[in-house]
Amino acid sequence: MTGARRNSFDVAVIGAGMAGMAASLFAAERGLSCIQIGSGGGILFASGLLDLLGVHPVAERCLWRSPYAALAALARDEPLHPLARVDAPSIRAAFATFVTALGAAGLAYAPLGEQNRNVLTAIGTTKTTFGVPRAMVAGADLLDAPDARPPCLLVDFRGLREFSARQIAATLGRSWPGLRHQRIEFPGSGAAPELYAAHLARALETAETRANTIALVQPLLGDARAVGFPAVLGLARAGEVHAAFEAGLGVPVFEIPTMPTSVPGLRLLRALEAAVSTRGVRRRHQASVRALAFDADDATIELDGVPGGERVHARAVVLATGRFTGRGLTADRDAVRESILGLPVEQPSAREGWHQRDFLAPSGHAINRAGLRTDEAWRPLGASGKPAWLRLYAVGSILAHQDWMRSKCGSGLAIATAWAAMEQVARALRGTAAG
Amino acid sequence: MSTMLLQTALDVSLVLCVLGLVWRVSAWFRVRIGPDARDVTLSQRVAALLHGAGAVLASRRIFDVLRACFLDVLLLRRLFANEKLRWLAHLLIVVGFVLLLLMHALAAVVTEKLFQGYQPTLAPYVFLRNLFGAIVFIGVALLLVGRRRRRTDLAQVRRPIDAAFVALLGFVLVTGFLLEADKIASPRAFYRMTEQFVGSTDPEKLEPLRALWASEFGVVFDDLKQPIDPRLIETGRELHRDACAPCHTQPASAFVSYPVARMLAPAIGVLDQGRADVWLLYLHAFACFLGLASLPFTLFFHVVSAPISLLVNGAAPNRASSAQEHSAAARASRRALALAACVRCGICDAHCSVAPLARYFGNPGLLPAHKLVASGEFAGGRLLRSRNEQDGLRYEALRAAEAAFLCTDCGRCTSVCPVGLDLEDLWQAGRGDFAAAGLPAPAQWVRERAALAWAESLEADLVQSRASEADATLAPLSADRRSFSRCVQCQTCTNVCPVVAHSMHSDHGVDLTPQKVMNLLRLGLRDLTLGSRMVWDCATCYQCQEHCPEGVRVADIMCELRALAVRRLGAVRGVREAA
Amino acid sequence: MKYALFLGCKIPSRLPAYEASTRAVLAHLGVTLVDLEFNCCGYPARDVSRDAFVVAAARNLTLAERAGLDLLTPCSCCFGTLRHAIRFLDEDAPLRARVAQALAAEDLSWSGKAEVEHLLPLLARRVGAAALVTAVRTPRTGLRVAAQYGCHTLRPSNVSRFDNPLAPTTFETLIRATGATPVDWPRRLDCCGDPLHEANAPLSAHMTRTKIADALASGAEVLCTACPHCHLRFDAAQADSSEPTIRTLLYTQLLGLALGLPAGSLGL
Repeated sequence: MTGARRNSFDVAVIGAGMAGMAASLFAAERGLSCIQIGSGGGILFASGLLDLLGVHPVAERCLWRSPYAALAALARDEPLHPLARVDAPSIRAAFATFVTALGAAGLAYAPLGEQNRNVLTAIGTTKTTFGVPRAMVAGADLLDAPDARPPCLLVDFRGLREFSARQIAATLGRSWPGLRHQRIEFPGSGAAPELYAAHLARALETAETRANTIALVQPLLGDARAVGFPAVLGLARAGEVHAAFEAGLGVPVFEIPTMPTSVPGLRLLRALEAAVSTRGVRRRHQASVRALAFDADDATIELDGVPGGERVHARAVVLATGRFTGRGLTADRDAVRESILGLPVEQPSAREGWHQRDFLAPSGHAINRAGLRTDEAWRPLGASGKPAWLRLYAVGSILAHQDWMRSKCGSGLAIATAWAAMEQVARALRGTAAG
Repeated sequence: MSTMLLQTALDVSLVLCVLGLVWRVSAWFRVRIGPDARDVTLSQRVAALLHGAGAVLASRRIFDVLRACFLDVLLLRRLFANEKLRWLAHLLIVVGFVLLLLMHALAAVVTEKLFQGYQPTLAPYVFLRNLFGAIVFIGVALLLVGRRRRRTDLAQVRRPIDAAFVALLGFVLVTGFLLEADKIASPRAFYRMTEQFVGSTDPEKLEPLRALWASEFGVVFDDLKQPIDPRLIETGRELHRDACAPCHTQPASAFVSYPVARMLAPAIGVLDQGRADVWLLYLHAFACFLGLASLPFTLFFHVVSAPISLLVNGAAPNRASSAQEHSAAARASRRALALAACVRCGICDAHCSVAPLARYFGNPGLLPAHKLVASGEFAGGRLLRSRNEQDGLRYEALRAAEAAFLCTDCGRCTSVCPVGLDLEDLWQAGRGDFAAAGLPAPAQWVRERAALAWAESLEADLVQSRASEADATLAPLSADRRSFSRCVQCQTCTNVCPVVAHSMHSDHGVDLTPQKVMNLLRLGLRDLTLGSRMVWDCATCYQCQEHCPEGVRVADIMCELRALAVRRLGAVRGVREAA
Repeated sequence: MKYALFLGCKIPSRLPAYEASTRAVLAHLGVTLVDLEFNCCGYPARDVSRDAFVVAAARNLTLAERAGLDLLTPCSCCFGTLRHAIRFLDEDAPLRARVAQALAAEDLSWSGKAEVEHLLPLLARRVGAAALVTAVRTPRTGLRVAAQYGCHTLRPSNVSRFDNPLAPTTFETLIRATGATPVDWPRRLDCCGDPLHEANAPLSAHMTRTKIADALASGAEVLCTACPHCHLRFDAAQADSSEPTIRTLLYTQLLGLALGLPAGSLGL
C-alpha cells in the first residue's frame, strides 16, 4: 500500500546547515544515493558570505589577506584544528564545486581567488571573507583602496528596520568622506509601517516595481560612482535584478548584508536545496533523528516529525548536526553532550573551565572549542577512543578544536570537512559490496 | 343525506383551495430570499416569469421542458436515480390516486363521458376502484417501510402537518373502503335501491331477489331463510336482469371492500341502524373536501409546486455552472418556489457531505432540508425574532448562521433533489442574508472589532476570562508552552509569509505578523491574538512552518487560534439588531 | 493499481472537467478507480473545531479502509487535510479516543491502514515519468508551461511527503513527460490566494494577480494546476480582468491531450 518509496541509501546526512548541505551535495556529485534529514535553519541566518579563514591567531585578532597562508600558519600552530587536516588542493576543489553548484542554481559568486575580501556590514564595519556573492562584490572592490574611494551613494528604504544607510555612513564617514546616504520609499509600500527584506526582494522581481525603484534612485545619484543597497535585490532571480539595477543606474551596484534573517541567507538556502534536489538527494524537512543504531554493515535511522514515523537505512552516516543552536550538542549545567548517540565530547574537565572571566576575551572561551574528536578519516571517536562506527562521520561545527566565529572560518570548516569526509565515505563504500 | 350540503361543502372547499393556491403562488413573487432580492419588485418578478416563459417557448429549450415533463414529472426520473423503493411507492401513490380521482371522484365529468353506461357498481369499475385504492395503500405502506429503514441518528425534517396529511389520505381510503363495504352488506341500501328500481320494499315479495343478493352480492339479511334455495336464486336472477343488472355486477371483484363487507356482516344491523351509510359518506366526502381545502397548506401542495419546479428545472437546470445568467428577479422567484416545492423527503440530507459535522456538532441545522426550513423562517422574519434568547444572543439564529457557513457548496444536495430545487443558489442567498443581518461567517464577524477590543471583552467576561480545560482539546499546540517556547523571533516566518508581503501594498493589511503572534503566545497573551487580522487572514500556505528553524508549528497554531476564537469570541459576542 | 477516488466537494460541483480528465487519464494508464460515497474532507471545519475536522477526515479514511483501498485525490486541499488528520491522530492519543467514539456511533472504526495519495505523486512515482513518456502519442512540443504546485501538496513537507518543499522538481518532470517545456518562474511555489477569497477578497485578488503576472513575465503560455481551488481561483481572477490573461489547464488535461485522448473526454 505504500508507494514505491525507497528507504535504503548509500549515505544519510543528518543536519542541513552548511556542512550538511555541502556533504549531501558532494555525496550526490560522487554518484552516491543520499538522504538528508533536517531543515536548513542555520543557513537562514547566513549572510551569504563564505568565510574560509580570516583570523589567526584568534587571541591576536590577526586578519589575513591570504586565507591559504593563514591555513598554513594554522596547520603549524593548531594541528588539531579541522581545517589544518584538509590539504589546500582539496579545499580549493571543495569551494570550487560548492560555488559552481550554487551558480548553476542561480546564485552567482564572484570568482574565487587567492585573497580574502573585505565587505561592508549593516552597521558600517567591515568583515573579512573569502567567497563574495556577485551582487556584493562591487562593494568589496570599493573597500580595497582605502585612500581612493570614489563618491558612493548608500540607499535604504523607509520601514526596513534592519538596515540604516545613515548608520553605515556615520560609522565609515571619517575613512570615506565621499559616502552619502539617502532614504527612499519603496514603491507601493505606502500603507505599511514596517517592511521586511524578503518581501522587498520578491517585489523587485516584478519589472514595474524595479523600474519605479530605479527611477527613484536615479535623480539622487549625483557624482556617485557606485550605489549600495541593503541586500534586497531579488530572491529567486537575484542575478537578473542586480543586473537590471546596474544597467538602469549606469554605475556598479552592490548589496550590503542586513541583519538576520537576511535575504542572502534565504537565497543560499533555496539555491542549496535546488542544487541537492536536482541531484536526486532525498530530503526530510522538519524531521529529526529519534534513534540511530548500527550493525555490521548498515545503519538504521528512526525519524521523528514524520507522521507514523519512518525508518531509513544507510551504509554510511554523516553527522552534520552543528553545535548548540543546531542542537547537535546540548549543554546542561555539568557537561556538554552529543545529542544523538551520546558520543564523548571533548570539553573542559569542569564547568568552571568553560568561560573566561572576561566575556569579550580575544582568545574566546574554551567551551566554544568543545566538540567531537575524529580520526584521520573524519570518524568521531567513541568512549573506547576508536571510531564509534566504521562508517559514521562527523563534519562541520560539531567538531572540536575550532572556534569558527572568531576565526571567521565557518563556511570553510563546513565545506572543507564535508569534502574530506565525503572522500572517505566514497572510499569506504567502494571497499564494501553494494547493499 | 343532503346533496345540497355536500355540494355546498365542495364549493366552499374549492373556493378555499383556489384562494389558498393564489396565496401560496403569490408568495413565489413576494417572498424575498437573498440580498439581491431586496430591491426586486413584484412587477419585476412577474415580468421575469413572463419573459422567461416566452424565451423558453420561443426556443429549443421547450424540448428540454417537455422532456422534463415526461421524465421528471411523470416518470419521476430524479427520484428513481436515488431511491428506487421510494420511487416505486410514490409512483404507486400517484398513479392510484390520480386514477381514483379521475375515475371515481370525477366520474361525472370524466368516466361517464368516456364510457357509456358507467355505473360505479359495475364491473370493471368496482375492481378498478379497489385496485387503485389498494395501489395507493401499498404505496403508502412502502413509504412507511422505507422511512423506518432510513432512520438515522440525525433528525429528520418533518412537520406534524405532513403526518396529518398522510393520515388524512389514509382516512379517505379507509372510509371509502368501509363505505363500499357497508353498502355491499347493507340491507338498508338494498331496500333503498329496490324502492327506486323495483317499486317495492316488501321483503317477502323481494325474496328471490334477496336470495340472489345475499348469496352473490354480499348483502347481509338477518331474516333470510337459510339455506337458500337455488331455484329462488334463479328466480331472483330474472328479476335482477331487468331491474338491477344494468347497474350492478357482482362485487366480489371488490377485493378489498368485499372481504371487509364479510367481516362487517355481524355488525351490519347496528351499522344500518346507526345510518353508517350516511355518516361514512359524510366522513369520506368531508375528508376529501378537507384535503381539497387544505391542499395549498399541506404537503399535498407539492402536486402543484413540484411539477412546476421540475419544469423550471428543465428550462434552467439547477446544476448549471453559471447560475448568474438568470436575473435577480428570476432567481428570487425560484428561491421562493423552492420553499414551497420542497417535499421534505430528506434525500438531500442523506447525501450531505457535511453530515458528519452535523452529527459531531449536534446541529442538524447543517443539513439541507433543515437549512431550507430555516430559509423559510428567515424570510418570514421568524428566525431573527426567535423566542429563545440566551445572553442577548438569538440562539437559533446563531445556530442557523453557523450551519449556513459550514456548507462546502459540494452541490450534492442539488443534484439529488427529486424536485429539481436550486439548493446551491438558495444556500448562497442564505449566507448573504445572514451576513446582511449581522450574522456573517466568523472570518467576517471577527473583523467587527480590533484584536485589542476583543481581548478586553474576554477579560470583562466572567466565564471567558478564565481559560478553560476545553481549550487544550480545541487548541492543544497553543496550550502547550513547548510548542512555541523555542521561537527566537528570527522573523523568518514573517519574511516568507505571502499575506504580510501583500499587505505592504494594501489598505486591508494585517495588524500583526506571524512572529508577533508567536511572541504574544510566549508572553502568555494568547487572548490578544484571537481577534487579530493576521490570524484570520492566514492563508495556511505553511511557508512559515516549513521554514521555521526551530520547528515551531506556526500555521497549525494559527488554525487552532481560529477555532479558539470562534468559541471564545463567539461567547462574548453580541448580535446587533437585524437591519 | 486500485484506489478509492476522493473527489472532495469542489470538483463535482465546480470543476467537473477535473473529474472527467482524471478518470480518462487514469483509465488509460491502467489505474482502477472505485467510487465510494465519501463526505467532506473536513477542511472547512478546521477553523471551527479540530476534533470535528479530524472526525470528518477519519470517516473518509475508514470508509476506504473498509473497502480495502487507499484514497487517491486530485484535490491538493483534501490531500493536505486528510494527511493532517492522520498526523493529528498519530500524535494525539486522547484525540484518537474521541474520534473512535464519534465513529463508533456509525459502527465505524479507524485503524490507520488507509493511505492518502495525490494525483501528482501517483503519476510521478507509481506510474512513473518514463511510463508516461512511453504512453504519450501527441507530445505538446514547444508549449511553455508554468507549474502551479499549490500549497498543500508541498507543505508542510513532513506531512505531505511529496517533494523538496523549497526546490521541488516533480511537477516539472511530469510536464516534461508530456513533451511540453516547463518554465521557471520566481513565484511558482507561492499560494494562489484562494483560502482568503472570502475572508479578505482584495488581498486574495492581489496574490492571485501577482502570480499570473509572474507566470506571464516568465514566458509561460499555460498555467498548469493540480488543485481545483488554484484552478478556479485563477479563472475567477481572470474572468473580468482587463489585465493580460494566461490559459489555465489542469495537469490531467495536459497529460490527456499528450496521451491522445479526445478533448471532449477531458472537459475541454
